[in-house]
Amino acid sequence: MKLFSSRFKQVVAILRKDFLIGMRQRATFAAMMMFALTATASLSLSTGGAFVEPKFLAALLWVVIFFAASAGIAGTFDDEATAGTLPTLKLYADAQAILFGKMIYVFLSLVALTIFILPIFLILFDEPTENFLLLFTTIFLGLIGLAAAGTLTAALTTSATVKGGLFPILLFPVTLPIFLPAISLTEISFTSAAFDMSSLIMIAAFDSILITASSILYDYL
Amino acid sequence: MNKILILLTAAIIAAIIFLVPPIKGLGDLAKIIFFHVPTAWVSVIAFFASAFFAAKFLRTSNFSFDKLSERAARLGFIFVLLSTISGAIFSKLTWGAYWNWDPRQTTIFILILIYGAYLTLRAAVADEKVRAKVSAIYSLLSILTVPFLVFIIPRMYFSLHPSPVLNSSGRIEMDSIVLIVLIAAVVDATLIFIQLMRRDFK
Repeated sequence: MKLFSSRFKQVVAILRKDFLIGMRQRATFAAMMMFALTATASLSLSTGGAFVEPKFLAALLWVVIFFAASAGIAGTFDDEATAGTLPTLKLYADAQAILFGKMIYVFLSLVALTIFILPIFLILFDEPTENFLLLFTTIFLGLIGLAAAGTLTAALTTSATVKGGLFPILLFPVTLPIFLPAISLTEISFTSAAFDMSSLIMIAAFDSILITASSILYDYL
Repeated sequence: MNKILILLTAAIIAAIIFLVPPIKGLGDLAKIIFFHVPTAWVSVIAFFASAFFAAKFLRTSNFSFDKLSERAARLGFIFVLLSTISGAIFSKLTWGAYWNWDPRQTTIFILILIYGAYLTLRAAVADEKVRAKVSAIYSLLSILTVPFLVFIIPRMYFSLHPSPVLNSSGRIEMDSIVLIVLIAAVVDATLIFIQLMRRDFK
């Protein structure tokens, strides 16, 4: 119990540290939000208010989320890597605490991203959403998996010499089992068609596999 | 071993050209299927081999396993490209289009993306030790998607792809000569892959 509570404290401390740094240098956060806004605006402008099919729109929403998230979370470990403080951090805290602290931070920033971009997206494309509960659940579950895979991928790419573009290339195939059902569920939430619970369960199952795998594999890094 | 493989490959090519009856209505080019199936098989085998050696490397920190993992991925990348191109040609002959995101085409395309991502990651990390670790971890992470994709994709897209030789109904719907040549070609391709893996490791 003591071990658990001290590890929990470490996770909270890492989360707090990342949050403070994120607030102090708002550049990463601002870049992620502006990326999402620019992408949404460019898509909406280029379709010029024409009717976009729900199926297509659901795919566009996830494309925006995926690439904005990539822009925002690729550098999750870069602060420590450039300052050379990651070894010190590993002395202070357990490796798993670092991973989970970062993962929760990434997840919360993705939630903030979605809270920002989703209303703008729905308003600009004039999409009357029928099933908000399904839409929120789908996005929530999708972001968990994106955060889990994204945090480990960010840890992998910190030592790479070529940064630009590498992160989304690595992340996309790994998160595809989330995107495919999430896109079809998002489409259903736009049209109020009957939906298949098993797709939601599938995303949740893959989320837990990604979290477990990240936790196991991070120890080898 | 090399000579035997060259002879076997030559014999199989001869059998495909002279022994196998032409496929009705598709012409001689349709015999590319004898190239497509073995290369697809090897590209999947190589994917699992690469992940297997990646796991071995993480457990032992023995760099020869990293070399093997990398080699399997490089070979797999070549095989998956050959398989995709030959499959697209066969698809044009039978379905009338090179590409239509059939489940099989989707999964093989994801395999290309994973191989490409893995090799890009290797190229992007300069430090040898870090590169070995990072790419082994990615290899194992990416293999997790396989069971999900195999399960999800066929539910989402309708498939026109012929069933595999060993299909769920347990029947083999092929002439025996076609089947024998096809199995020989798969065995031959697997042996070529193993031989290429063993090169320089004697």
